Amino acid sequence: MTTAELNATAAKTARFDTIAGSDEVVGRIGNLVRTLRESVKALGLDQAVEKAAEVIPDARGRLSYIATMTEEAAERTLNAVDRAQPLQDEMERRSKGLADEWERLFQSPVDEAEVQALALDTRAFLADVPEKAQATNRELLEIVMAQDFQDLTGQVIKKLMELIIGVEHQLLDLLVDSHYSEEERESIRRRIYEQANMGADAEIRDASLMNGPQIDTTGDDVVSGQDQVDDLLDELGF
Amino acid sequence: MARILVVDDSVTLRHMVAHVLRKDGHEIVEAACAEDALTQLPDFVPELVLTDMYMPGLDGICLAEHLRAMPGYRSIPILVLSTDSSPDVKQRGRGSGVTGWISKPFDPVMLQGIVQKVLH
Repeated sequence: MTTAELNATAAKTARFDTIAGSDEVVGRIGNLVRTLRESVKALGLDQAVEKAAEVIPDARGRLSYIATMTEEAAERTLNAVDRAQPLQDEMERRSKGLADEWERLFQSPVDEAEVQALALDTRAFLADVPEKAQATNRELLEIVMAQDFQDLTGQVIKKLMELIIGVEHQLLDLLVDSHYSEEERESIRRRIYEQANMGADAEIRDASLMNGPQIDTTGDDVVSGQDQVDDLLDELGF
Repeated sequence: MARILVVDDSVTLRHMVAHVLRKDGHEIVEAACAEDALTQLPDFVPELVLTDMYMPGLDGICLAEHLRAMPGYRSIPILVLSTDSSPDVKQRGRGSGVTGWISKPFDPVMLQGIVQKVLH
Protein backbone atom coordinates (compact mmCIF):
# COMPACT_ATOMS: atom_id res chain seq x y z
CA MET A 1 0.00 0.00 0.00
CA THR A 2 1.39 3.38 -0.98
CA THR A 3 1.65 6.30 1.41
CA ALA A 4 -1.16 8.02 -0.43
CA GLU A 5 -3.35 4.93 -0.08
CA LEU A 6 -2.46 4.63 3.59
CA ASN A 7 -3.37 8.28 4.17
CA ALA A 8 -6.66 7.86 2.31
CA THR A 9 -7.52 4.77 4.42
CA ALA A 10 -6.61 6.61 7.61
CA ALA A 11 -8.76 9.56 6.60
CA LYS A 12 -11.72 7.23 5.86
CA THR A 13 -11.25 5.47 9.20
CA ALA A 14 -11.06 8.79 11.00
CA ARG A 15 -14.23 9.99 9.28
CA PHE A 16 -15.95 6.71 10.14
CA ASP A 17 -14.87 7.05 13.77
CA THR A 18 -16.16 10.60 13.86
CA ILE A 19 -19.50 9.53 12.39
CA ALA A 20 -19.73 6.61 14.82
CA GLY A 21 -18.74 8.97 17.64
CA SER A 22 -21.33 11.55 16.66
CA ASP A 23 -23.99 8.81 16.48
CA GLU A 24 -23.14 7.88 20.02
CA VAL A 25 -23.26 11.52 21.09
CA VAL A 26 -26.59 12.00 19.36
CA GLY A 27 -27.87 8.81 20.99
CA ARG A 28 -26.86 10.05 24.38
CA ILE A 29 -28.39 13.45 23.73
CA GLY A 30 -31.61 11.74 22.67
CA ASN A 31 -31.70 9.75 25.86
CA LEU A 32 -30.96 12.90 27.82
CA VAL A 33 -33.88 14.70 26.18
CA ARG A 34 -36.12 11.72 26.95
CA THR A 35 -34.98 11.74 30.58
CA LEU A 36 -35.57 15.47 30.79
CA ARG A 37 -39.05 15.08 29.32
CA GLU A 38 -39.94 12.34 31.76
CA SER A 39 -38.62 14.45 34.66
CA VAL A 40 -40.64 17.46 33.58
CA LYS A 41 -43.71 15.24 33.24
CA ALA A 42 -43.10 13.72 36.66
CA LEU A 43 -43.08 17.21 38.10
CA GLY A 44 -46.41 17.88 36.42
CA LEU A 45 -44.90 20.72 34.49
CA ASP A 46 -44.94 19.33 30.97
CA GLN A 47 -47.54 21.85 29.93
CA ALA A 48 -45.50 24.80 31.07
CA VAL A 49 -43.57 25.09 27.86
CA GLU A 50 -41.82 28.43 27.85
CA LYS A 51 -38.67 29.90 26.54
CA ALA A 52 -35.59 29.77 28.71
CA ALA A 53 -34.27 33.14 29.76
CA GLU A 54 -31.55 32.16 32.13
CA VAL A 55 -28.20 30.41 32.02
CA ILE A 56 -27.25 27.08 33.59
CA PRO A 57 -24.80 28.28 36.28
CA ASP A 58 -27.63 30.38 37.69
CA ALA A 59 -29.64 27.26 38.55
CA ARG A 60 -27.55 26.16 41.50
CA GLY A 61 -27.82 29.57 43.14
CA ARG A 62 -31.57 29.67 42.57
CA LEU A 63 -32.09 26.20 44.01
CA SER A 64 -29.93 27.12 46.95
CA TYR A 65 -32.02 30.28 47.45
CA ILE A 66 -35.22 28.21 47.50
CA ALA A 67 -33.72 25.79 50.01
CA THR A 68 -32.57 28.66 52.25
CA MET A 69 -35.87 30.54 52.06
CA THR A 70 -38.01 27.50 52.82
CA GLU A 71 -35.71 26.45 55.66
CA GLU A 72 -35.79 29.95 57.16
CA ALA A 73 -39.59 30.10 56.84
CA ALA A 74 -39.95 26.75 58.59
CA GLU A 75 -37.59 27.86 61.35
CA ARG A 76 -39.32 31.21 61.83
CA THR A 77 -42.71 29.49 62.01
CA LEU A 78 -41.62 26.79 64.44
CA ASN A 79 -39.75 29.26 66.64
CA ALA A 80 -42.81 31.51 66.81
CA VAL A 81 -44.97 28.55 67.79
CA ASP A 82 -42.39 27.57 70.42
CA ARG A 83 -42.57 31.07 71.90
CA ALA A 84 -46.37 31.37 71.72
CA GLN A 85 -47.17 27.92 73.08
CA PRO A 86 -45.94 28.52 76.68
CA LEU A 87 -47.89 31.80 76.83
CA GLN A 88 -51.08 29.99 75.87
CA ASP A 89 -50.31 27.08 78.20
CA GLU A 90 -49.78 29.44 81.12
CA MET A 91 -53.03 31.33 80.47
CA GLU A 92 -54.90 28.05 80.18
CA ARG A 93 -53.35 26.70 83.41
CA ARG A 94 -54.00 29.88 85.41
CA SER A 95 -57.55 30.44 84.16
CA LYS A 96 -58.43 26.80 84.81
CA GLY A 97 -56.96 27.04 88.37
CA LEU A 98 -58.92 30.21 89.12
CA ALA A 99 -62.14 28.77 87.70
CA ASP A 100 -61.72 25.64 89.85
CA GLU A 101 -61.11 27.77 92.96
CA TRP A 102 -64.19 29.92 92.31
CA GLU A 103 -66.26 26.79 91.73
CA ARG A 104 -65.05 25.34 95.06
CA LEU A 105 -65.88 28.56 96.93
CA PHE A 106 -69.37 28.71 95.49
CA GLN A 107 -70.05 25.13 96.56
CA SER A 108 -68.77 25.40 100.12
CA PRO A 109 -69.22 27.84 103.03
CA VAL A 110 -67.40 31.01 102.12
CA ASP A 111 -64.41 32.21 104.07
CA GLU A 112 -64.01 35.93 103.53
CA ALA A 113 -60.22 35.91 103.58
CA GLU A 114 -60.17 33.09 101.06
CA VAL A 115 -62.52 34.98 98.74
CA GLN A 116 -60.37 38.06 99.00
CA ALA A 117 -57.20 36.10 98.16
CA LEU A 118 -58.89 34.52 95.19
CA ALA A 119 -60.21 37.89 94.01
CA LEU A 120 -56.69 39.27 94.17
CA ASP A 121 -55.33 36.31 92.17
CA THR A 122 -58.06 36.76 89.60
CA ARG A 123 -57.37 40.47 89.34
CA ALA A 124 -53.65 39.82 88.78
CA PHE A 125 -54.45 37.23 86.14
CA LEU A 126 -56.81 39.53 84.25
CA ALA A 127 -54.22 42.31 84.35
CA ASP A 128 -51.72 39.92 82.81
CA VAL A 129 -53.96 38.65 80.00
CA PRO A 130 -53.65 41.63 77.58
CA GLU A 131 -49.86 41.45 77.68
CA LYS A 132 -49.88 37.70 77.04
CA ALA A 133 -52.43 38.13 74.24
CA GLN A 134 -50.29 40.83 72.61
CA ALA A 135 -47.21 38.60 72.84
CA THR A 136 -49.16 35.76 71.25
CA ASN A 137 -50.38 38.09 68.50
CA ARG A 138 -46.80 39.12 67.77
CA GLU A 139 -45.89 35.48 67.27
CA LEU A 140 -48.93 34.92 65.06
CA LEU A 141 -47.84 37.88 62.92
CA GLU A 142 -44.36 36.38 62.73
CA ILE A 143 -45.93 33.17 61.41
CA VAL A 144 -47.86 35.15 58.82
CA MET A 145 -44.77 37.07 57.71
CA ALA A 146 -42.72 33.87 57.46
CA GLN A 147 -44.97 32.86 54.57
CA ASP A 148 -43.40 35.45 52.26
CA PHE A 149 -41.10 32.67 51.04
CA GLN A 150 -44.00 31.32 48.98
CA ASP A 151 -44.17 34.37 46.71
CA LEU A 152 -40.41 34.79 46.42
CA THR A 153 -39.53 31.14 45.85
CA GLY A 154 -42.45 30.83 43.45
CA GLN A 155 -40.80 33.40 41.21
CA VAL A 156 -37.49 31.57 41.41
CA ILE A 157 -39.09 28.20 40.63
CA LYS A 158 -40.68 29.82 37.60
CA LYS A 159 -37.27 30.95 36.40
CA LEU A 160 -35.86 27.48 36.96
CA MET A 161 -38.61 25.97 34.85
CA GLU A 162 -37.74 28.40 32.08
CA LEU A 163 -34.19 27.16 32.36
CA ILE A 164 -35.14 23.48 32.19
CA ILE A 165 -37.47 24.02 29.26
CA GLY A 166 -34.79 26.07 27.51
CA VAL A 167 -32.27 23.26 27.86
CA GLU A 168 -34.85 20.83 26.53
CA HIS A 169 -35.43 23.02 23.48
CA GLN A 170 -31.76 23.33 22.76
CA LEU A 171 -31.29 19.58 22.96
CA LEU A 172 -34.30 19.02 20.74
CA ASP A 173 -32.86 21.45 18.21
CA LEU A 174 -29.62 19.52 18.24
CA LEU A 175 -31.49 16.28 17.76
CA VAL A 176 -33.47 17.64 14.83
CA ASP A 177 -30.29 19.02 13.23
CA SER A 178 -28.57 15.65 13.58
CA HIS A 179 -31.35 13.44 12.18
CA TYR A 180 -33.07 15.42 9.47
CA SER A 181 -32.09 17.08 6.23
CA GLU A 182 -32.10 20.84 6.00
CA GLU A 183 -35.42 20.77 4.11
CA GLU A 184 -37.07 18.59 6.72
CA ARG A 185 -35.77 20.56 9.73
CA GLU A 186 -37.94 23.58 9.14
CA SER A 187 -41.19 21.65 9.00
CA ILE A 188 -40.19 19.50 11.97
CA ARG A 189 -39.40 22.58 14.05
CA ARG A 190 -42.63 24.22 12.99
CA ARG A 191 -44.50 21.06 13.95
CA ILE A 192 -42.95 21.05 17.41
CA TYR A 193 -42.56 24.66 18.35
CA GLU A 194 -45.40 26.55 16.69
CA GLN A 195 -48.01 24.31 18.27
CA ALA A 196 -46.34 24.82 21.60
CA ASN A 197 -46.35 28.60 21.20
CA MET A 198 -42.61 28.65 21.40
CA GLY A 199 -41.93 30.49 18.18
CA ALA A 200 -43.38 33.73 16.92
CA ASP A 201 -44.87 34.87 20.19
CA ALA A 202 -41.81 34.06 22.26
CA GLU A 203 -41.39 37.72 23.14
CA ILE A 204 -44.93 37.99 24.45
CA ARG A 205 -44.44 34.82 26.47
CA ASP A 206 -41.19 36.25 27.81
CA ALA A 207 -43.09 39.17 29.25
CA SER A 208 -45.57 36.81 30.87
CA LEU A 209 -42.73 34.91 32.50
CA MET A 210 -42.33 37.78 34.91
CA ASN A 211 -45.78 37.08 36.24
CA GLY A 212 -44.99 34.21 38.53
CA PRO A 213 -46.04 30.62 38.28
CA GLN A 214 -49.02 30.63 35.95
CA ILE A 215 -49.44 27.25 34.31
CA ASP A 216 -52.25 27.05 31.84
CA THR A 217 -53.46 23.49 32.08
CA THR A 218 -56.35 24.02 29.74
CA GLY A 219 -54.52 25.21 26.61
CA ASP A 220 -55.10 22.65 23.87
CA ASP A 221 -52.18 24.00 21.87
CA VAL A 222 -49.78 23.48 24.75
CA VAL A 223 -50.78 19.87 25.22
CA SER A 224 -50.60 19.28 21.50
CA GLY A 225 -47.14 20.85 21.31
CA GLN A 226 -45.81 18.62 24.03
CA ASP A 227 -47.29 15.56 22.37
CA GLN A 228 -45.35 16.57 19.28
CA VAL A 229 -42.14 16.56 21.28
CA ASP A 230 -42.91 13.07 22.55
CA ASP A 231 -43.79 11.94 19.03
CA LEU A 232 -40.48 13.21 17.73
CA LEU A 233 -38.53 11.38 20.46
CA ASP A 234 -40.53 8.19 19.73
CA GLU A 235 -39.88 8.61 16.01
CA LEU A 236 -36.16 8.82 16.67
CA GLY A 237 -36.23 5.77 18.90
CA PHE A 238 -35.65 7.49 22.22
CA MET B 1 -58.96 53.67 59.03
CA ALA B 2 -59.19 53.57 55.28
CA ARG B 3 -60.54 51.48 52.42
CA ILE B 4 -57.60 49.79 50.73
CA LEU B 5 -57.53 47.73 47.54
CA VAL B 6 -54.77 45.08 47.57
CA VAL B 7 -53.86 43.66 44.16
CA ASP B 8 -51.50 40.69 43.89
CA ASP B 9 -51.60 37.42 41.96
CA SER B 10 -50.01 35.64 44.92
CA VAL B 11 -52.78 34.70 47.30
CA THR B 12 -50.22 34.31 50.11
CA LEU B 13 -48.91 37.84 49.66
CA ARG B 14 -52.42 39.26 49.42
CA HIS B 15 -53.39 37.59 52.66
CA MET B 16 -50.19 38.74 54.37
CA VAL B 17 -50.70 42.35 53.35
CA ALA B 18 -54.40 42.21 54.24
CA HIS B 19 -53.61 40.68 57.64
CA VAL B 20 -51.08 43.39 58.47
CA LEU B 21 -53.31 46.27 57.37
CA ARG B 22 -56.49 44.92 58.98
CA LYS B 23 -54.64 44.96 62.29
CA ASP B 24 -54.60 48.75 61.89
CA GLY B 25 -58.34 48.71 61.33
CA HIS B 26 -58.32 49.25 57.57
CA GLU B 27 -61.01 47.82 55.33
CA ILE B 28 -59.37 45.59 52.74
CA VAL B 29 -60.63 44.30 49.43
CA GLU B 30 -58.39 41.89 47.53
CA ALA B 31 -57.97 41.45 43.78
CA ALA B 32 -55.96 38.73 42.03
CA CYS B 33 -54.97 40.88 39.03
CA ALA B 34 -55.33 44.41 37.64
CA GLU B 35 -58.38 43.51 35.57
CA ASP B 36 -60.06 42.02 38.63
CA ALA B 37 -59.23 45.20 40.56
CA LEU B 38 -60.76 47.43 37.88
CA THR B 39 -63.97 45.42 37.81
CA GLN B 40 -64.35 45.81 41.60
CA LEU B 41 -64.03 49.59 41.53
CA PRO B 42 -67.65 50.58 41.01
CA ASP B 43 -68.61 48.67 44.16
CA PHE B 44 -65.55 49.50 46.23
CA VAL B 45 -64.03 52.98 46.12
CA PRO B 46 -60.58 52.70 47.69
CA GLU B 47 -58.68 55.48 49.41
CA LEU B 48 -55.42 53.66 48.65
CA VAL B 49 -54.35 51.04 46.12
CA LEU B 50 -51.51 48.69 46.97
CA THR B 51 -50.50 46.61 43.96
CA ASP B 52 -47.97 43.99 42.96
CA MET B 53 -45.80 44.92 39.97
CA TYR B 54 -45.77 41.74 37.85
CA MET B 55 -49.07 39.97 37.42
CA PRO B 56 -50.81 38.10 34.62
CA GLY B 57 -52.34 40.63 32.24
CA LEU B 58 -51.77 44.27 33.14
CA ASP B 59 -48.83 44.98 35.43
CA GLY B 60 -48.97 47.28 38.45
CA ILE B 61 -47.83 50.34 36.50
CA CYS B 62 -50.45 49.78 33.80
CA LEU B 63 -53.04 49.52 36.56
CA ALA B 64 -51.83 52.88 37.88
CA GLU B 65 -52.16 54.38 34.39
CA HIS B 66 -55.72 53.07 34.09
CA LEU B 67 -56.63 54.42 37.51
CA ARG B 68 -55.12 57.84 36.88
CA ALA B 69 -57.22 58.13 33.72
CA MET B 70 -60.42 57.54 35.71
CA PRO B 71 -62.31 60.36 37.40
CA GLY B 72 -61.89 60.17 41.17
CA TYR B 73 -58.59 58.29 41.01
CA ARG B 74 -56.24 61.08 39.96
CA SER B 75 -54.97 61.79 43.43
CA ILE B 76 -55.43 58.67 45.54
CA PRO B 77 -52.14 57.07 46.64
CA ILE B 78 -51.01 54.07 44.60
CA LEU B 79 -48.23 51.98 46.09
CA VAL B 80 -46.36 49.24 44.22
CA LEU B 81 -45.09 46.22 46.13
CA SER B 82 -42.41 44.41 44.16
CA THR B 83 -39.17 42.45 44.17
CA ASP B 84 -38.11 44.60 41.22
CA SER B 85 -36.88 47.96 42.42
CA SER B 86 -34.65 48.83 39.48
CA PRO B 87 -34.36 52.56 38.71
CA ASP B 88 -35.84 52.07 35.22
CA VAL B 89 -39.01 50.45 36.44
CA LYS B 90 -39.36 52.98 39.27
CA GLN B 91 -38.96 55.78 36.75
CA ARG B 92 -41.67 54.20 34.61
CA GLY B 93 -43.84 53.98 37.71
CA ARG B 94 -43.32 57.64 38.59
CA GLY B 95 -44.24 58.63 35.06
CA SER B 96 -47.46 56.65 35.34
CA GLY B 97 -48.59 58.15 38.62
CA VAL B 98 -47.30 55.62 41.14
CA THR B 99 -46.99 57.27 44.55
CA GLY B 100 -44.42 54.97 46.13
CA TRP B 101 -42.47 51.75 45.91
CA ILE B 102 -42.21 49.06 48.59
CA SER B 103 -39.69 46.25 48.24
CA LYS B 104 -40.52 42.61 48.83
CA PRO B 105 -40.07 41.00 51.25
CA PHE B 106 -41.73 43.75 53.23
CA ASP B 107 -41.51 44.60 56.89
CA PRO B 108 -45.01 44.76 58.45
CA VAL B 109 -44.25 47.76 60.66
CA MET B 110 -42.72 49.63 57.73
CA LEU B 111 -45.76 48.82 55.56
CA GLN B 112 -48.13 50.10 58.24
CA GLY B 113 -46.00 53.24 58.57
CA ILE B 114 -45.95 53.96 54.84
CA VAL B 115 -49.68 53.40 54.52
CA GLN B 116 -50.33 55.80 57.39
CA LYS B 117 -47.99 58.34 55.82
CA VAL B 118 -49.55 58.33 52.34
CA LEU B 119 -53.07 58.42 53.73
CA HIS B 120 -52.43 61.64 55.63
